[in-house]
Amino acid sequence: MTSVMSSSKWTRIVLQILLALTTLPPARAVTAQTLVVIVNPAIGVQHLSRREVLDIFLGRYRTFPSGASALPIDLDVNSPERTLFYVLLAHKEPTDMGSYWARLTFSGKISPPFAVPDARMAIDIVANNPNAIAYVDRSAVDQRVRIALEITP
Amino acid sequence: MRTTLAILAPAMILGLIFASFVSITVERSEQQRAQTRVEQLLATVERTAQIACYLKDGKLAEEIAHGLMSNRAVAGVTITAGTVMLSHVDNPSLQGPERHRVVIARRIYSPFDSHEWVGSISLTVDHATIHAEAASYSRASTLAMGLEITLVVIVVALAVYFFSTRPIKAVSNELHRIRFDTGARLRVPARNRSDEIGTLVSDVNALIASLADALTTERELRMAHEVGERKLRLIFEKAESGLFVLDDCGILESWNPAFIRLLRLSSTELPQAGVTSLQQLLPPHAADLGQLIRQCLSTGQAYDVDLELRTSATPHPAWIEMALNPIGPTALQGVVNDITERKVEELSAKKLASLATQDTLTGLLNRRGLDMGLSAAFSVHTAPELALLQIDLDYFKEVNDAQGHEGGDQVLRHIARILERNARRGDLIARPGGDEFVIALVGIADSLKAEQIANTIIAEIQQPIDLGAVSVQVGASIGIAFAMPGDSPQAVLIRADSAMYSAKRAGRGRVCLVKAPAPAEAGAAA
Repeated sequence: MTSVMSSSKWTRIVLQILLALTTLPPARAVTAQTLVVIVNPAIGVQHLSRREVLDIFLGRYRTFPSGASALPIDLDVNSPERTLFYVLLAHKEPTDMGSYWARLTFSGKISPPFAVPDARMAIDIVANNPNAIAYVDRSAVDQRVRIALEITP
Repeated sequence: MRTTLAILAPAMILGLIFASFVSITVERSEQQRAQTRVEQLLATVERTAQIACYLKDGKLAEEIAHGLMSNRAVAGVTITAGTVMLSHVDNPSLQGPERHRVVIARRIYSPFDSHEWVGSISLTVDHATIHAEAASYSRASTLAMGLEITLVVIVVALAVYFFSTRPIKAVSNELHRIRFDTGARLRVPARNRSDEIGTLVSDVNALIASLADALTTERELRMAHEVGERKLRLIFEKAESGLFVLDDCGILESWNPAFIRLLRLSSTELPQAGVTSLQQLLPPHAADLGQLIRQCLSTGQAYDVDLELRTSATPHPAWIEMALNPIGPTALQGVVNDITERKVEELSAKKLASLATQDTLTGLLNRRGLDMGLSAAFSVHTAPELALLQIDLDYFKEVNDAQGHEGGDQVLRHIARILERNARRGDLIARPGGDEFVIALVGIADSLKAEQIANTIIAEIQQPIDLGAVSVQVGASIGIAFAMPGDSPQAVLIRADSAMYSAKRAGRGRVCLVKAPAPAEAGAAA
């Protein structure tokens, strides 16, 4: 009796939390997500550090630590994943990143990563291109790609 | 002109001081600013440098370096990322000595990780250039300031000239030409009507007006004075009285015609102003006049004196009255009037008076004279010390009979001379009548002395008298009486008379004396 009572009580609390979450702004909803960095299993990269991932995405290196060339795939500029990715890894807001790339567009030899509209497309590219590297929400990952880094807040 | 200089000189000096101060301050602050500018420059490029170093982007580094080189004080830029030299630029135009170069170096960290050191940037700053720039800037501002001061000074000088110096000069010129007595006034400069110069001009005008008034008043006074003087001069010249002015030594300074006329001076005796003295004009009175002048000046009072003039020009003696008034410590004013007429009258009156009291034969007092003399003596003292000698001639009747009246008169005159010889000055000698004589010995109360005088007289009278053809002899009997307290002249005369009769009875040619009683006896007798 008591267990039934308690289980129904817990169900109610969870429902309340979920309700509360739905009323929150989307950005906050993003923080609840877990981002993962994915690579093609064929490239043979087991794990990448946050620094290694960042250097590839910011254009410092265009190779994996193994020496294989790396092709970073960005998500759409307005996507919550992209914002979260750079905030967590580079501690930069989207505007900062914008100015970083703008500075390099005119004088530098480096160009920003290629951007795709959604996670599915990013996963497809990584699945089909051994040199590609991308970040997506953990929930979107499938068997075709390998998780090289889990980015937690 | 002086005002302008007074403005210009301090302004220039102050300007120079300020300019040098500004020059130093500006130069120093300019150097500091240059330094700050370089630091700021570095700060501006820092983010880009971070990216360049992070990415080892030589092109970006080059761009940064060239950007920095655009600052003229920067002599060189080196950007390195670890061991890699991303960019190195030198300014070949800056050939300043090495000691003026300062290297400012900064570590560059990763733009994404403030702990990751990704490179460094170093700037070579040429201080000589900073110096030169600061100096040129300071020169420019000093110049600007100097220019400003010069302009201000010029403006002030012009303002002083137009608003102060020029109107003052104009007023001054007008003042030079103006004639005070015509009632002319200064014109107030139109632009200075309400300022200090306007006030000054009005004040000067008021002064001129009062000056003109004073001049007019003085002219009128002078005219009135002249008229008065002429009047006085006329009075002086035409006066009947002799008027003159003397100094303390009696030297004549001025005189009128009447003075010359009254002193009976001939054309050869005319005095000379400032040379001739009053004493020289009146030699017989020189001593008296000198005395009078001194007295007049020492007491400060007026004195007058009657003077007799005896000159060759005047057959009869003339008299003048001279009055002296002190008019200053060393000056006297004198008035002379002719009093000859009055003097002559006075003298004849005196003669008449003496006729009434004088015995014409002997010149002694007559009875009336004796009475008056005695009365006078008794009026001064109620009991004068006085011995009265009653003298009666013996045998005169015989001489008179034998020689006639002529002879008798001669004898009487002879006796009078004897009496005059033996009496003293102040004694009264009288011939009351006939051959009767009286002597009042004033001041003698001593019977011995009186008796001695009486005896001498008798002895002298008894001597033969030479009448020319013949010689005659008479004698005298004398009675003596003394005045007593409460006495009257008459009483003494009676006592002396009775004493004389006693002498006659006693055999003539002798003295009989009514002794003066001792004071106690006199009191008892009274």
